[in-house]
Amino acid sequence: MSVILEAKDLSKVYGEVTAVNSVSLAVKEGALFGLLGPNGSGKTTMIKMLTGQIRPTGGSAMVLGLDVEKDPVGVRAQVGIIPEQETPPSFLTAIEYLEFVGAVRKIPDIGEKADWWFDFLEFRDKKNVLCKDLSRGTRQKLMFAQAFIHEPALALIDEPLINFDPIMQDLVKDYLAGYVKNGRTIFISTHILEVAEEICSEFAILHKGSLLHTGPVADLTARNEHLSSFFLSLVRKDRHA
Amino acid sequence: MLDLFKNMVKEEWRMHSTMFGGLSFALFPVMIFGIAFMSSFLLPLLRTSLPAGNIALMTHASFLMLGFMVGAFGLLGNEVMNRRFGQASLLAYSARSLPLSGRFIFTNFVVKDLIYYFFLWVFPFGLGYILASPFVGVPLAAALLLLLTLTLAFLSGLCTVFFLSTIYSRSRALLWLLVLLLGAGCGTIVAVTGTNPALFFPPLLLYLSFSWTAFLVTCTVLVLLFAVSIVLFDPQETEKNRETGNAFRPLLVRFAFLPNPSLAAKDMIDLYRSGSIIGQTLFSFVIPLAVIWFFLSLLAPIFPPHGLILMYAIVAGVIASTMYTWVTMFDAFGSYSCLPVAVSTLIAGKVTTFSLLQVVPAVFIAAVAILAGEIPNLVPAVVLCLAVSFYAAGIMVWLTGLSPNVLVYDVKVLFVYLFLVGIALTLFTAIAFANPLFALSSVILFLPAWLFVRKAKVKWDAVDPAGF
Repeated sequence: MSVILEAKDLSKVYGEVTAVNSVSLAVKEGALFGLLGPNGSGKTTMIKMLTGQIRPTGGSAMVLGLDVEKDPVGVRAQVGIIPEQETPPSFLTAIEYLEFVGAVRKIPDIGEKADWWFDFLEFRDKKNVLCKDLSRGTRQKLMFAQAFIHEPALALIDEPLINFDPIMQDLVKDYLAGYVKNGRTIFISTHILEVAEEICSEFAILHKGSLLHTGPVADLTARNEHLSSFFLSLVRKDRHA
Repeated sequence: MLDLFKNMVKEEWRMHSTMFGGLSFALFPVMIFGIAFMSSFLLPLLRTSLPAGNIALMTHASFLMLGFMVGAFGLLGNEVMNRRFGQASLLAYSARSLPLSGRFIFTNFVVKDLIYYFFLWVFPFGLGYILASPFVGVPLAAALLLLLTLTLAFLSGLCTVFFLSTIYSRSRALLWLLVLLLGAGCGTIVAVTGTNPALFFPPLLLYLSFSWTAFLVTCTVLVLLFAVSIVLFDPQETEKNRETGNAFRPLLVRFAFLPNPSLAAKDMIDLYRSGSIIGQTLFSFVIPLAVIWFFLSLLAPIFPPHGLILMYAIVAGVIASTMYTWVTMFDAFGSYSCLPVAVSTLIAGKVTTFSLLQVVPAVFIAAVAILAGEIPNLVPAVVLCLAVSFYAAGIMVWLTGLSPNVLVYDVKVLFVYLFLVGIALTLFTAIAFANPLFALSSVILFLPAWLFVRKAKVKWDAVDPAGF
């Protein structure tokens, strides 16, 4: 399996605050990689840097063979992204937004693909409702659809299940598992450890902007250790360090 | 009430100072003060070529316009607050989490804005003139009176547009009726008395001849307009789940000839569905320019022949350039961050939509030229208006990228903007006044406008997109 995403000493400093401190990690093709960390640990900043939404202040990152700093638009053309906060444009309807995404990404047959997503995520009845009038859960469905509608080789998702009800969470988890089985790669960031343990094949733990650990979930399983207890012991140790 | 109000003021200050740096934002009223203070020393010189009444007229008209610009609170109902600051979470949205009604929070928001803008613009200007008055032979009482009447001029603009925009959000038919009645009233004044209605502008009348009765009547009218607007304001959210037909697909086909048809189609839908295409055209373009016409026509005697229509075209061009703020007000870059769209592409898209909107000033100036019997100067006036608009917008794009609404309060940015726009306006006013046909030479302004947009793309691609 080749490396599809690689960060080398990636850093982001805002004034006197170091959001991400020299993080290095690699994600192999076909992995469902979970970036874990408490609130404010730098997960969202990492995803923003890896997708070229913001520039690193140090280090470098390659995504699908593209340098995120030199070709951020090229990276965003290749990957699918669900940002931390759902932000579909207020005055477009759900179907118009997916058609807008289709036009920007030059996706053929966008109408058919959009219809599939309305049925799959069970929100066909909202397809002609303005985004500003959609519930958070429905907006999250829409953002999910826009991220996967072009079937990217790599999808980066910030808190994938946060606004979904348990039934939808189950559906989405199954979808993500099936997606990586087809040889594609998913990078999620979350602080919900149960979800990460259930669906991720590899993980990394970020705390106060620094990488504490990276490795396969299977290693923990082999040691008969749960991800949540491993995570808590590492973070607590780092807090007192 | 007071706690919420104080915290809203604090919030507004912190938001601006976070965006521009505390010092840069604090310098804004200082700059206004400095401009007023130093301009006061030019008064003796100006009076040799311009009657004192005309200077007062122009100053009051400017503050009336400022009120117009600030006052369209009712236009988008609840979204009027959101659109100014994008994704920022403000106290104004706390109706659900605080035991306060939406109308109460909105009243606080409007009063806060009113006082905030007073201290940001009106007071520093008045203070500059007051402190300069002893040195330029103006009695202190006259300077204090100017501060009072400028405040009333600002409030007149604000309350009028607030009132009209609230009516607009309730019933567009009623608004059109009111606008027609106002127009008919102005027409009747001109027909019956032969006097320009601008001369009946209460704050100006008060400045020229103060009386307590007139002052109280003016204040009462303003308070009434404000109170009715607050009562008429509807804080209820619009109907949820209302289905809307697909407008994107047909627009995408119609705009296929443009470089970024999907961005232009989205912008047009934003403008139409938010009510801005009509609301902004009316409140930020047609009504201010109608009022400006009356005020500017009072200065016609000091202009050369045909100078009025050309001066008007320049003013309309400056106001038309603010249409760039209309197309940028609905989305921050965040909406596009998950798509393969560079900031420069988005800027190009916004400039394209801005260009489409320039049909409005072109038609407007052509109509005014015809109505004013200036058909021979129609083409120079339209060219001048559009050239000024594109030039000023180009500078705005270069200086502020996708955030023209908020960055205008960065004193450094505003200074550069005023300087660059001021040079072009002075130059082309002189050229157009020399011979109306020379106004056609303003077409050259499209070149720097294009260069500014080109520079803007490079400049704003190189920085992380801001949240605002």
